Amino acid sequence: MVAETFFLLASFTAPESLGLNPLTLLLLLPLIASISIVYKALKVSRMQYSVFIKETVILFFSITIFIVVTAMVLFLLAWWLTA
Amino acid sequence: MEHSRGNHILFLVFVGLIAWLIPGAGHFILKEKKRAVVIFVTIIFTFVIGVYIGSIGVVNPATSLLSFVGQIGFSPAVVFLGSCNAALLENAEQEPENQGFAVYGIPNEIGQIYTSTAGLLNLLCIVNAVYIARMRWLQERGKNGS
Repeated sequence: MVAETFFLLASFTAPESLGLNPLTLLLLLPLIASISIVYKALKVSRMQYSVFIKETVILFFSITIFIVVTAMVLFLLAWWLTA
Repeated sequence: MEHSRGNHILFLVFVGLIAWLIPGAGHFILKEKKRAVVIFVTIIFTFVIGVYIGSIGVVNPATSLLSFVGQIGFSPAVVFLGSCNAALLENAEQEPENQGFAVYGIPNEIGQIYTSTAGLLNLLCIVNAVYIARMRWLQERGKNGS
């Protein structure tokens, strides 16, 4: 148990090896989830879990869709300028 | 009245400090327990992901002051961790074989983004907790007619 604990703590002293590939973009999703959860936790007037989860999911997908659309517009702009 | 106002200001400072010390604690002492648990778990989770991806070396004012300013919002412990990392990096200039917790490239950037976001989200929670405490006091004062 002690060895596992130290092994776990040691994993925080060396960075993970991440390559620059399309899958790296998926690391955006946990960040969007945290922002949505904390923002809605502060924003909802009464903390009822059904309302809170619904609003959080809506915000999560709104941010994700906005980022995807922005990325597509920037990609098309770059493609048009460099074509 | 003045005594009450003085106590209230002290209480606001206390709420702000406790919310900075432990994410969600400000809401907890204001009896917003569900919010407090959600805030605590989410902010700790975000910070831990950042530190896991980039290692504790991502908290370093000597290499990235701007993200450190965001990270400070997470907890006073970040200031201690940052000063330790900065001291290790300074020491590394004299002993090149010992680089401390140096981290570069994509893990560094992603770790900094996660930890800075956690700090800034906690800053939002601190402001919200102080605001709730202030509004409640004003409402009570309004009810008492003073």
